[in-house]
Amino acid sequence: MPMNKGPKDRSAKCTVRRSVHLAALVSALATTGVVVLAQSEPVDPRVEGLTFLGEPVLASQVMAGQQLYADNCASCHGASLEGQPDWRRRLDTGRMPAPPHDDSGHTWHHSDRMLFQITKGGVGAVVPGYESDMPAFGEDLTDAEIAAILVYIKSTWPERQREFQAEVSANDTGG
Amino acid sequence: MKSIEIEFRPNRRKVLTAALSIGVASMLPGFALAASDGVPAALAFDGDTILLARGGLFVSDNGGRTWTAAETPGKVLSLATHRDRPGLVVAGLAEGGVSISEDGGASWRIFEARLPDGEITAVAIASRNPDMIYASLRGDGLWKSEDAGATWSLAMDRPWLDDAERDPLALASVELETGMGGIWIYAGTEVGLTRVPDCFCRWQDVQPGNAMDALVAGEAPPSEAPLPGGEPILSLASAPSAPEVMYAALPSGLWASQDGGVIWQKRASKAATAVAVHPRDETYIAALLGGILKISRDGGATWIETGEQ
Repeated sequence: MPMNKGPKDRSAKCTVRRSVHLAALVSALATTGVVVLAQSEPVDPRVEGLTFLGEPVLASQVMAGQQLYADNCASCHGASLEGQPDWRRRLDTGRMPAPPHDDSGHTWHHSDRMLFQITKGGVGAVVPGYESDMPAFGEDLTDAEIAAILVYIKSTWPERQREFQAEVSANDTGG
Repeated sequence: MKSIEIEFRPNRRKVLTAALSIGVASMLPGFALAASDGVPAALAFDGDTILLARGGLFVSDNGGRTWTAAETPGKVLSLATHRDRPGLVVAGLAEGGVSISEDGGASWRIFEARLPDGEITAVAIASRNPDMIYASLRGDGLWKSEDAGATWSLAMDRPWLDDAERDPLALASVELETGMGGIWIYAGTEVGLTRVPDCFCRWQDVQPGNAMDALVAGEAPPSEAPLPGGEPILSLASAPSAPEVMYAALPSGLWASQDGGVIWQKRASKAATAVAVHPRDETYIAALLGGILKISRDGGATWIETGEQ
C-alpha cells in the first residue's frame, strides 16, 4: 500500500535534501579552504614579537640584515655585536669606541626612529655637533637596507630588551 | 636682608681639625676650584634638615639657625640625598671612596676599596632609584653602583669638552625624560655643563627638548641662554618637586634655570661654591655665597641669614 505522501513528508524530504547539499557545500568549501590555505602558506613568515617603525618584521629582512651588518657594521661593532674592546673608555682622539649592539650596550635604549636616523645620518643627526667615528650610511645604503640591519640587531636581543625598546619606540612621538 | 658668616667655635679640637683640613685640601688638585674661601664645601637637604660639609660635617634641623657637628666619614667633597629615603646620605671623599649613612649622618658605612683609588669629586643618587648611586672619580670617569654602594662598575668615561676630558665637579640626577626610557645625569665641569642619559650612550650638550626636531626640519634652533662659558660649575641641584628647576654654583654667582638647564638666570652675584634645594619645595634653597651660608625661600630672588654654626 502506497504511503500517503502529504505536505509533511515532502517537507521532511526537502529538509534532508538541503542538509545533504549543505554538508556537501561545507565539505567542498573546507577542501577548497585547505587547498587555498596550503597554497597561501607564507614563504616569508613574520618574526614573532618584532616590529620596526610599527611594521611587522619578516624573516627575510632579518636574514638580509645579518649579511648587511656583516658587510657594513661588524668591523667596528663586532661580528657578534660585542663592540670594540673597552668601549666605555675614550680613544686618544677624544671619540668614543664603537659600542656593542647586544644587550650589554645601550642600543636597546633608543627608539626605532632614532636608530634609523643615527645609522642614516650619523650621530650628529640626533646630537648636533657630536663627533663620532661612525659614518652616515645614507649615501651607501638604502632605507630598506638600513632597516634590515636594525631589525637584525633587534632580533638578537633577549625578551626584556626587546620589550623595553618597543616601549621606548612607542613613546617616541618625535615623528 | 642680613647675612651671617658661618663660623667655627674656636675650641682646640676644631681649630686643629680645620687646620688639618685646610692643609689636606690645599694639596688637592681641585682645591682652587672648590670654594672661594679655600675649603671644599657641599650642601644637601635631607628632608627639612640641611647638611653642610665644610671642614667637617654639620647638621641643622631648623633651617640653618643652629648647627650640630656630626660624625664625618672623612674629607667630604660632595653630598647626595634622596627625597624618598629620608636619612640616606652619600658622601664622596677626597681620600677616595664613597661613604653612606642611613641615619642622616649620625653614623657611616665606610666601604672598603670597592672603587679604584682616587678622589671622588661628585656623587649623585638616581632620582628614580635610591639604590643607584653615581660617583665621579677624578682623572677616571663616572662610576655607578646599582646596589647602594656594595659593588661598582664604570658607567662612562669623562665628558669631552673644549678638546679635553673633564672631571665632573658636580653631578645631578635630573628626573626629565631622555626619550630613551630613562632620565638625565647632568655634570658640571671646570669648563661648563654637560649631560648624559642614564643609559650612558654619550655625553652631550644641554639643548631644548625640541632641538632635534628643529634640526631634522632644518629650522632655526630654539633660543638658549647657557651658563657662562669657561667657568667651573662647582655644584648642581635639580629640584625633586620640579626637576626642570635647577640651580648651579659658579664663581660668577648662583644661577637658576626653569627649563632643565637651557636658559639660565643669575640669582646671586657673589661667588657660589655649593647649592642644595629642598626635596618638596623648589623655591627653598641653601647656598654658600662668598663663603657664607644663605637661605632663599623664593628661588634665589632674596636671601636670608642663617644662624651661627
